[in-house]
Amino acid sequence: MPGEMVADRPERISYAYVDKGKTYSTVVGLFSEGKLVPLEGPYEPLPDDFIVGIVSEVRFSGYSVDTNSAYAAFLSSREIRERYEMGDAIFARITKTDETRSIELGDAKKLPEGRLVRVSAVKIPRIIGKKNSMVDMIRANTGCEVIAGRNGYVWIAGKGDSNLAEKAIRMIEAQAHTHGLTDRVAAYLKSQKKA
Amino acid sequence: MESINEIKRDTLSALISQGQRGDGRGMFDYRAINVQGGILQNPEGSALVSIGKSQVMAGIKFDVAKPFPDRPKEGVLSTSAELLPLASHLFELGPPSDESIELARVVDRGIRSANIIDLGSFFIDDEKVLAVYIDLFILDHDGNLIDTAALAAMGALLSARMPKVEEGKIIRGEFTGKVPIKEKVVTCTFGKLGDKAFLDPSLDEEKGMDCRLTLATTPDHLCAAQKGGWGAVSEKDLMELFDISLEKGKALRALLGD
Amino acid sequence: MGNPAEKPALFANGRRVDGRGVEDVRPLKIVARVLNDAEGSAYIEWGKNRILAGVYGPRECIPRHDQSLYRAVVKCRYNMAPFSGAEEHGRSGPNRRSKEISKVIKEAFENVIISENFPKTEISIFVEVLQSDGGTRCAAVTAAAVALADAGIPMKDLISAVAVCKIDGTMAVDPGKEEDNFGESDMPIAFSPRTGEVLLFQMDGNLSREELSRGLELARNAAAKIREVQVEAIKKVYDEPKEDRFLLIG
Repeated sequence: MPGEMVADRPERISYAYVDKGKTYSTVVGLFSEGKLVPLEGPYEPLPDDFIVGIVSEVRFSGYSVDTNSAYAAFLSSREIRERYEMGDAIFARITKTDETRSIELGDAKKLPEGRLVRVSAVKIPRIIGKKNSMVDMIRANTGCEVIAGRNGYVWIAGKGDSNLAEKAIRMIEAQAHTHGLTDRVAAYLKSQKKA
Repeated sequence: MESINEIKRDTLSALISQGQRGDGRGMFDYRAINVQGGILQNPEGSALVSIGKSQVMAGIKFDVAKPFPDRPKEGVLSTSAELLPLASHLFELGPPSDESIELARVVDRGIRSANIIDLGSFFIDDEKVLAVYIDLFILDHDGNLIDTAALAAMGALLSARMPKVEEGKIIRGEFTGKVPIKEKVVTCTFGKLGDKAFLDPSLDEEKGMDCRLTLATTPDHLCAAQKGGWGAVSEKDLMELFDISLEKGKALRALLGD
Repeated sequence: MGNPAEKPALFANGRRVDGRGVEDVRPLKIVARVLNDAEGSAYIEWGKNRILAGVYGPRECIPRHDQSLYRAVVKCRYNMAPFSGAEEHGRSGPNRRSKEISKVIKEAFENVIISENFPKTEISIFVEVLQSDGGTRCAAVTAAAVALADAGIPMKDLISAVAVCKIDGTMAVDPGKEEDNFGESDMPIAFSPRTGEVLLFQMDGNLSREELSRGLELARNAAAKIREVQVEAIKKVYDEPKEDRFLLIG
């Protein structure tokens, strides 16, 4: 809980602060092995994060990209060989961010026809799964490619059951912090899978 | 985000033209609807309705007021709506938007045209009548706020009790029975994209559709209608959607209970 | 303040008009995560108060000239529904009282929200009073704190708020409507429970030094109990996860 003590001495822990020699949490989260993992929160962009974005504006030297954050992201034309249009969905890497939080993107590729699901950014690791296990499982059961960006935008592509894929993603988002989730999602997908 | 709207229209178009919807619903299926009536004690009537993830609360308050000059022996009915900033990242603060004004007026028109409240019975004395205020508080926006609000208004009216009036003043907390409501008016709002129509558009669908048509009905009559947006609706559409509204109206009225 | 001629006896034989003792807070229930679009939300029932809080952000700060290059700007709007009062139909939109309350609530949260993490953005807190029953600003702060935690906004502490009143010469916690109207003093207070620091403080009436001290003590104890209800509400979101959220009113 915010304000709850996590260490009896000053420590440098993400999502915690130090006051008068003790360390306190700033978020609702799980604390284990000296690390604080928030259960909810906004996306904080870091270099080398891979994100899903939507081209929101075509500019002279590049593109403005909507990344589901309060901060604008820019993709320079020099970084890519393809040309994009407003509304295109792309998968790209954050090459640079600075203290004012403006984001620069590179290594972009256009995503195929599909739809966008917006989830809470902190749940993305669970949606991807260890070594992509979750997205693989969703693909196997729905025929859809699931491309999850660290920024909380998830792209569902392909001609499969995108509805079921979205439901599975929402289920993982709601239960991301629980145990046995993988089995439950597997069971759910099997039960809902169309012949 | 305009770019998001562009995507919505293309994806929506692809689905709708095949008779499918993003969430797997049928073209004329409502999302899950939940009605809670009479849940607050301060207003004379109240209801909270959710359709899918949209949520609207309606409150009914009575006051003693001056009648309209052209209807000196009738009570006053006034409906207003607030698209609260906490309901959607799309809503901004400021004076009532066109959207909130349209919403209030459409809901009001259905109730007024069907004459479900006998405003004549609200007359108290010279220059004194009962005014009934319906306030629609939009709490959560995921599309089709009109149907959600209209159902909440109807639910609140059905839960409302007549306040006791003594010597031209309302005695708060004392009542003389339920407000007599003659009929249940319900609305059905359709979206249209290309030549296909669909019932109860979600927010995603609203972002991509061409236009919107709302029909307010009693069990067998059309009593109010509103078309919003820039597309076109054919006469054949109108007749078909009227029939569908009457059909769907039965289930909506059942949800409102007695 | 109410009409003195109608004043009831507020405190007799160690009991208040509703039977409570001076340290008893009215029945209180909080549910977190009740709205779908808002980043964080909470609903509170406190006495007959029914209040909804919603949080958006960090998001782009509009208008641009409000932006700060170094931190998130915290905004707050407290508003009462026209049907929220027990008497007449109110007007739409915030009046002067609501604007003042919006300001003191915003200032309380500015102390605890770690806004340096999110420059150039805004964090908006919206509180809607659906039904009022005395002590709405404390209920608003209490609900808003839960909504902020629900949204995952980093904070130094979870703020709790409660008011203290003086009735028939005795200090008592959490005034009900009658005590609010006819009491001799009203003092809403918000605490950062970890440090005991006071982040919101208003007062009217007249209090001696002892009464002030006693009032603070009562408030601090009550705030600790209120914090437990807030924490419960937050935990429940994760203990009973739901995909769609609904407001259910008792």
